Amino acid sequence: MQSSPDTIAAIATPPGKGGIGVIRVSGTLAPSIAEALVGHLPEPRLATLVTFREEDGAAIDQGLILFFPGTASFTGEPVLEVHGHGGVVVMDLLLQRVLSLGARPARAGEFTERAFLNDKIDLAQAEAVADLIDSVSEASARSAVRSLSGDFSACLGDLTEQLIELRVYIEAAIDFPEEEIDFLADESIVTRLNTITSSLDNIRQRASQGAVLREGVSLAIVGPPNAGKSSLMNRLSRQDIAIVNEQAGTTRDILREQLVVQGIPIELVDTAGIRSTSDAVEREGVQRALAELARADIALLVFDQSLGQHGVISAMGDLLASIGSALETFQGVLILVMNKKDLVRVDTGWEAVQDILSICPQINERVSISAATGEGLERLFDVIAQSAGLTTTVEGVFMARRRHLVALDEASARVRAGQAQLAVNAAGELLAEELREAQRYIGEITGDFTNDDLLGRIFSSFCIGK
Amino acid sequence: MDFDVIVVGGGHAGTEAALAASRRGASTLLLTQNIETVGQMSCNPAIGGIGKSHLVKEIDALGGAMALAADAAGIHFRVLNARKGPAVRATRAQADRALYKGAIRAFVEQAPNLRLFQQPVDDLLIEKGGVKGVVTSSGLTFHAKTVILTVGTFLGGIMHVGMQQQPGGRAGDSPSNRLAEKLRALPFRVDRLKTGTPPRIDGKTVDFSALQRQPGDTPRPVMSMMGTPADHPTQVACHIAKTSELTHDIIRAGLSRSPLYSGVIEGVGPRYCPSIEDKVVRFADRPSHQIFIEPEGLGTSELYPNGISTSLPYDVQLDLVRSIDGFGEAHITRPGYAIEYDFFDPRDLKRSLETSFVDGLYFAGQINGTTGYEEAAAQGLIAGINAAASALDLESYTPDRSEAYIGVLIDDLITLGTREPYRMFTSRAEYRLVLRQDNADRRLTEKGRALGLISEQRWTQFQRKIALIDARTEAMHAHWIQSGDPSVESLLGQALTHEYSLADLVRRPGISLRDLAEAAELMWPETEVNEQVEIDLKYEGYIVRQREEIARMQQYVNQLIPVDIDYDVIGGLSNEVRQKLNDARPETIGQASRIAGVTPAAVSLLLVHIKKLGGVRHRQVTAHA
Repeated sequence: MQSSPDTIAAIATPPGKGGIGVIRVSGTLAPSIAEALVGHLPEPRLATLVTFREEDGAAIDQGLILFFPGTASFTGEPVLEVHGHGGVVVMDLLLQRVLSLGARPARAGEFTERAFLNDKIDLAQAEAVADLIDSVSEASARSAVRSLSGDFSACLGDLTEQLIELRVYIEAAIDFPEEEIDFLADESIVTRLNTITSSLDNIRQRASQGAVLREGVSLAIVGPPNAGKSSLMNRLSRQDIAIVNEQAGTTRDILREQLVVQGIPIELVDTAGIRSTSDAVEREGVQRALAELARADIALLVFDQSLGQHGVISAMGDLLASIGSALETFQGVLILVMNKKDLVRVDTGWEAVQDILSICPQINERVSISAATGEGLERLFDVIAQSAGLTTTVEGVFMARRRHLVALDEASARVRAGQAQLAVNAAGELLAEELREAQRYIGEITGDFTNDDLLGRIFSSFCIGK
Repeated sequence: MDFDVIVVGGGHAGTEAALAASRRGASTLLLTQNIETVGQMSCNPAIGGIGKSHLVKEIDALGGAMALAADAAGIHFRVLNARKGPAVRATRAQADRALYKGAIRAFVEQAPNLRLFQQPVDDLLIEKGGVKGVVTSSGLTFHAKTVILTVGTFLGGIMHVGMQQQPGGRAGDSPSNRLAEKLRALPFRVDRLKTGTPPRIDGKTVDFSALQRQPGDTPRPVMSMMGTPADHPTQVACHIAKTSELTHDIIRAGLSRSPLYSGVIEGVGPRYCPSIEDKVVRFADRPSHQIFIEPEGLGTSELYPNGISTSLPYDVQLDLVRSIDGFGEAHITRPGYAIEYDFFDPRDLKRSLETSFVDGLYFAGQINGTTGYEEAAAQGLIAGINAAASALDLESYTPDRSEAYIGVLIDDLITLGTREPYRMFTSRAEYRLVLRQDNADRRLTEKGRALGLISEQRWTQFQRKIALIDARTEAMHAHWIQSGDPSVESLLGQALTHEYSLADLVRRPGISLRDLAEAAELMWPETEVNEQVEIDLKYEGYIVRQREEIARMQQYVNQLIPVDIDYDVIGGLSNEVRQKLNDARPETIGQASRIAGVTPAAVSLLLVHIKKLGGVRHRQVTAHA
């Protein structure tokens, strides 16, 4: 493992505004990345004040750079630490610049893994490393699903399917030339390639507009009908976006709102009041709410404390009946919110809390508020910010998303190269190679697609068999 | 009698195994039920094809017999995918069965250190977990340090024609049931597979004027790097026929008496080589299917109708054949049949093809769940190389996925196993642009030389070719074409703005090295050399990229996983991943990473765990690993 061929990079500090953000780079390219980023190779092990620059010389940020050459570093490889201002956007720009210089986004836990494999961490720490990779991989698997919410995920699904279909066709033509599938003469290939590149462009555009990368940490609001979830959401977003109505069950759509809580971008998701219902539309809403819950980094579990202890416990029971399974697998931070504080003289809801904790022990935090008057919201913001910045995944959703964008860019470059091979050289096998690579990159987001899967699709799509 | 290597079975795996072992100097015994069937082509009379000619040419580069025999017996040669680029190009030869068998038989008879003996094998001698020899049906015992089983479809073979079944390993040959029973008693995972063959037809009863004629290619390709078209016997044409809706109606009416569709057959058949009844059922909207009418040989009028493999009853077979244009009066000489047979889960094998449970026992060919002569021969070759290595304490060898299709084949088998008869396709090879049929010799000849597998003649010829390739590549970079050169500019169809090297110009679309050399008035007649230089230059960017990918993989490839690793104690692995690793028991991290569902995080956990165990680090995967 001494000389890993690739250089990895990641934001090493939790997301959030203020303070300092650190990007760590490890691998043989670290020195050349440093030179390109700040114009000269920094003195080893000496913090230097520098300006980080784009390729065209434009300044990105000012900060400190630290260079650890050779094997005398945390990972046992040349390491670079880039200390910038901690804002999400600046850190992302810095990371993009480092990646454009040849590093690839680190997998979760990869720095520690390299440190261990290069004998920089002793045997006693090995167990901890394994635990870290384990927990981080679970978390990043979750954040992968999460960061691909909604439209983005659907687009990516479509794109993958188009790519697979095209590959099935081309590979079938290559492996079964006697089946009279002549893709080189097939005009529709060009059309299909164009569709794929425009899908890629489309997805990439959404991403760069910030819908994906900067949506931040996702926050779901769940609870029984009429617990005041929509009022809370309106409070949080300070806009009346949800339909608030005294009749239970008025929120049937998933509403989203972007907000920034103490420097951390948060995507707020209000979900339909979850309850057993025979109304088909509302049932659909409940299903979607459950899906949102599974994807969220933070979930607010909202109850109406004015119902009194028995009322709250019984509402909790109902809620567990409908979302219990989603809660069992939920890996994010769960915050219990006792709403409608203004309707009770003392915090009667708290009497219920002990009982709720025994029913639902995953609850990490609890806050009493009034969405109507705004009482307690300050405290709620604190808890959310803390949960977002500190308690979420070790790797953070930003890194996961940055990896996805890199994968998309690579895939896009491959598809375009394939298009050129087809147009200029009529080279079918090179088009096939580019598409294989493109799928490998997309697969980093969507999961494996093996050669055997491909053959399976060929056999089910074409009548093969000489 | 004591041998270094005993090979059981005289098919394509068995003969290559015996020849490779004997070439390495091992005293070798080839045991076969019937000497007359040594080198027999049991199914279609063809060698090569997509993915398969890659294997054949690799076997050739490692000194094997298959390509030479195909050149000696080929009566119709074609290059497939000629327009789709060199990496996916393939060579296919129709072979005269008798000539092919004769050529293989001659190789076997002329090989040093190799004895041939006719007797079915009923049992293995196993002591202390290691194989010591074999016992034949008449009770003869042969001792050996290693035994290679290449028994094809003969283990528990059952042939089906309609609702009738009979035991058999191939039409006219009996199965090896006693051996099958003995093997089933060992701890190997065993399962059933199915394959099929079409009815054979007497060419005298066929009206060829109703068929589409398909001549061989001109210029005629060759299979072996040592071969020339002068080695080929008389060439003949193939034909293409088509089924009709009438054919499909006949098949549908007969389905109730099909062993496939009445549940009699339990084995899994290949998806890429379905029976005609499968095609008609699964692709019901296709009005017609192609049938390739292949001659069985020069000395016979029998035809092999490729594409109508079937196990329908004989009367349905006759009706369906006669419903095909040109076959109205056709006479069937041998009915088609399906055959079910035992195979052993290849995940119980090591990279050397030695079994995990019995030391010195090797499996090669259909016994490992593959189909095809070429796949069988490739495994035979590797098993022969490694059994000889084990007996004589020589270097062992299994190519890596990045070196050869043979490596892809063996790695797929031992890592992923198979649920259907495994066939090679180019899409299985991730390094397809590097692993081409045209450069098999450049990839493997030196290795073959080091292993003692190839002749002086081949080595000399190879060295000459390499020297020429190097010199010509250099010349391509050194020879500059000036702006205004009339013949080159007319070839390019545009004026040159400044001077260019030939290497630059040959990378342009549609420009071949041959035409360029002619325009530049260079006398470069060696086609094979030009081809290599041209592909190297045109593919350069891709080759560099694939080599980088190979280098990335390499750090895993050589990382061994301890044989006795306990996946259950590795924290953090999901149950699914654990199950997959337990089933596959990968030998290296590289193999583990290729198992579907084994995530990069799981690979990280494995690496960390192995290091914790005491650091099996980057040892080379060697002979006795």
